[in-house]
Amino acid sequence: MDKLTTLAEAVASVPSGSHVALSGFPITRCAMAFVREVIRQGIKGLTVSQCVGAMDGDMLVGAGAVERLIYGGGSLDRFGRLNCVNRGIEDGSLQAEEYSSLSVAFRYLAGSLGLPFMPIRSLVGSDLMRRIREHTGSDVADIVDPFTGDNWLVLKPLLPDVSVLVVHAADAEGNAWIMGPRWDNVEQAKAGKRTIIIAERVVPTEVIRRHAERTVIPGLLVSHVVELPFAAHPTSVFREYDYDAGEIEKYVQATSTPAAFEAYLNEYVYGVKDHWEYLEKVGGMKHLNTLRADPILGY
Amino acid sequence: MDVDYTPSELMAVAGAREIKDREVVAVGLGLPVVAAFLAKRTHAPNMTMLFELGVIDSEPVHTGVGLADPRVWYRAKVLSGFVDILGAILHKGRVDVGFLGGLETDQYGNLNTTLIGDPRGKFRHMVGSGGANDIASSAKRNILIMRHDERKLKKTISFVTSPGYMTGGDSRAKAGLSGGPTRVITDKAIFGFHPETKQMMLISIHPGNTLEDVLGTMGFAPVVPPQVPYTEPPEKDQLRLIREVIDPGKMYMG
Repeated sequence: MDKLTTLAEAVASVPSGSHVALSGFPITRCAMAFVREVIRQGIKGLTVSQCVGAMDGDMLVGAGAVERLIYGGGSLDRFGRLNCVNRGIEDGSLQAEEYSSLSVAFRYLAGSLGLPFMPIRSLVGSDLMRRIREHTGSDVADIVDPFTGDNWLVLKPLLPDVSVLVVHAADAEGNAWIMGPRWDNVEQAKAGKRTIIIAERVVPTEVIRRHAERTVIPGLLVSHVVELPFAAHPTSVFREYDYDAGEIEKYVQATSTPAAFEAYLNEYVYGVKDHWEYLEKVGGMKHLNTLRADPILGY
Repeated sequence: MDVDYTPSELMAVAGAREIKDREVVAVGLGLPVVAAFLAKRTHAPNMTMLFELGVIDSEPVHTGVGLADPRVWYRAKVLSGFVDILGAILHKGRVDVGFLGGLETDQYGNLNTTLIGDPRGKFRHMVGSGGANDIASSAKRNILIMRHDERKLKKTISFVTSPGYMTGGDSRAKAGLSGGPTRVITDKAIFGFHPETKQMMLISIHPGNTLEDVLGTMGFAPVVPPQVPYTEPPEKDQLRLIREVIDPGKMYMG
């Protein structure tokens, strides 16, 4: 089945208030074009989840589109912190539920397997667990192992309404390849009700069939396929393009105050009609070509 | 013969010495990476090095800005995901050593990477756990690498992101966790933990520091044995590897 569509149509399929799992890991394979379009369309009240907070989640929070964030902590690596997320936590405007990387991954894994809960050794004896109990009350619980009698902490499955993944290649049905590490992306897609695939390139199904062992997301999970080069810019896509240090630095500067971030959004999000205008805005092909990955190094 | 070295270089060397050959090591970024690569290039060629996002045994030729930088993944033997690394290897119990850094630690090696200030009042949120809590909970032993400073080695920390020995004694074991921190490496000294009370215990002082330098810049009193030796300084070849091969751009060693 052909699920090819435009970014605008794929984003329009996400109602305000949805739970969206995002594919970014600090500054790599972030669903940046997707979040910029979410902001342009005025979608609000989202629950966002990801194992490690990244630039895509931070931008959505900064634009006021997120009510609830479920994550395992995060940063923009050496470029800086998640200023929008941190500000939201500090002033109480964001309901942030903070876990560890593995505990969010296990919540997706439980969701992906259709299990009622997942036992975990992490979080025990930490203030993370104390805060999760205080804030949510119901997303963690204690059980006794029926086989050994040991006490275990168990986590509630995460079941995103939609997972949004930036991938290297997919066919029109959504059978998708991710090169390099995949962090939580496969579990996100499998736990979600459906997945939106944003592919650097769309390939014929015959190409997928010839290297089907590379397919990590089966098309049956996918509702929309969007072909969109540089969709993770200014973050990187392994073996396709490097991160854009200058543009990430601009973002970090801009997110240092709400006023500066409003100006940033006006220029880079509201001030452009779509992803193609955004790419022109940041320097067009001449600049983007300098980010192309070396085929041996992958960056 | 005396060799000049920085406190950071000594910390990296001390970290490397904690790794035995054939061990499986989980590392975050920064000094622990230098320690692990140094161990691998010297006495532990058969160690396995894990990065939480799904990377095993990479061989970077350029310094990365963090785990999300593909420079850090170069020439990896495995590229997978969290469930593989933190689940099937760490949670399963196959990680021997975890290396953790942080904002603050207390006398029981509990670690804060989340926030500074009063979590119920005014505070600044920083980074959070990532895989740190998972590693602290499931690695067979953990090594903490911290700057030696009253604001970092504190009686009470603002937030326990990753448990050490919790409230000391057998409190960690009672909570159902084995393992725990075995070393704290600072730029002035190396600490272990008292076998019963689980309080931090001075093991060696870095050359150039006195006992007063060490104790006077901590927010709690560690156990001090009657005889405390000096930390063995780095060897020439270790320094050469750090400076010329592992971190020529001084990205990690600052």
